Amino acid sequence: MTAGSRGTGDGRELPEPLQRTLRAAIRLEWLTVASQLVIAVLVGVVSGQSQAMKVAWIDDALSLLPPAAFLVASHRIRRSPSADHPYGFHRSIGVAHLVAATALLAMGGYLAVDSLISLVTVERPPIGIVVIGGHALWAGWLMVVVMAVTNVSPIVLGHFKMKLAEPLHDKVLYADAAMSRANWTSALATIVGVLGVGLGWWWADATAAVVVSAGIVRDGVSNLRSAIGGLTDRRARTFDDARPHPLLRRIDELAACQPWVDAVRSRVRDEGHLFHVEVFVVPTDPRQFSVQRCADLVEALRSLDWKIHDVVVAPLPALPEHQAFPPEEAEPA
Amino acid sequence: MTRRWAQRAVIALLASVILMVGAGCGAQYPRDTHGSLRAATGGSLRVGVSANPPWTEVGADGEVGGSEARLVESYAASIGATVRWRVGAESVLAEEIDEGQLDVVIGGLTSSSPWTEKMAFTRPYATVQSPNGDSVKMVMATRPGENALLVSLERFLAHQDRR
Repeated sequence: MTAGSRGTGDGRELPEPLQRTLRAAIRLEWLTVASQLVIAVLVGVVSGQSQAMKVAWIDDALSLLPPAAFLVASHRIRRSPSADHPYGFHRSIGVAHLVAATALLAMGGYLAVDSLISLVTVERPPIGIVVIGGHALWAGWLMVVVMAVTNVSPIVLGHFKMKLAEPLHDKVLYADAAMSRANWTSALATIVGVLGVGLGWWWADATAAVVVSAGIVRDGVSNLRSAIGGLTDRRARTFDDARPHPLLRRIDELAACQPWVDAVRSRVRDEGHLFHVEVFVVPTDPRQFSVQRCADLVEALRSLDWKIHDVVVAPLPALPEHQAFPPEEAEPA
Repeated sequence: MTRRWAQRAVIALLASVILMVGAGCGAQYPRDTHGSLRAATGGSLRVGVSANPPWTEVGADGEVGGSEARLVESYAASIGATVRWRVGAESVLAEEIDEGQLDVVIGGLTSSSPWTEKMAFTRPYATVQSPNGDSVKMVMATRPGENALLVSLERFLAHQDRR
């Protein structure tokens, strides 16, 4: 058995353009943390007795979790593999993804349950006046303004984070960008609700929130599935979990077209930004096989893509039986 | 796809609400769920009162007095309404205002009174020292969801305060 691994990469082993992307993502997430803190304080001050505004506040507090998880994880992945962590630390990304997905689901679930309860118990939200500098103003207007102003930054930041998520193959960034989006739709719902309450529609607030929460719960569930899948060694998928990663097919094709290779079965798991690749190969003829050819295959696979970092090639007399899957399960990439 | 649909639905709802708010601005905004303010204006304001001197006092003959009673009477006058008193315990009044038999409840209520599920408190119209030295915020209550009445009463109280 030839082991071609040089250890899972640390952050420095990302190609230069991607390192820049990663640094940009880290800056974006610091900005997110700072702006969410300001927003949470601002919304907390004006929320008063409004239930919808309190929910919005909890949303803002919860959306601190994904960027925090991202920042911790992107710090951890810089470490090199050690005797105690031979695979390196890239799996921290998977853990952060789990945290982000759970936060998203909690946010959607809380919003849904809370608004359903106020619908069922017929809670009619009272919104009175505030006095600012001697002027009496309906508090609803203030809530609308705060919700509109505080959600400019999540929209902008979320847009940029979504753009970085694919090139970086970063699922935490993806979940967090989804959360930013969720944040602004829930803000919009709060605005609709408050304005509706002003029209005497006590149910407007809660109904708008239920509509929005459905989408957030859906995002939370799909991210949670994707995060758990990644951590339980599901085959590597694209950053948005839409399909098996296209590299899987290219790995198989590259190995299969080696003249000395008769049969190939590879398995690839997502370690974070990087993939951990194991390739079982059956040589056509024992005389064709050499350690050098194995090492060459490892290098060829590694140069396919920066994500393919830790590669193990295992030559065997026959493919392992438990790895024989019916071809229809191999979805076209 | 679903989330896009949801977003569009919310945006459409927002647009229609803004249109309605714009159209309704000439009339009254915010509005009551059950039109309490409109019904009281030029008619009668149904006020529940529980005795709590010096804020509210109920004489043996059923005569209602106290500082809050006077405030409510001048508020009613400001909207051309006469006050119809209903004397009772706080717990009874809480049920009645929640069911819509009353418009306003007074009785030396404070911002920490326990009836927030049944009635909507106004913003504090005065802050006083309680006998044990805490500062207590005095409020009145309206029927929940009657935001036009709430805002109208709050504006009146804020105006009184500045005098």
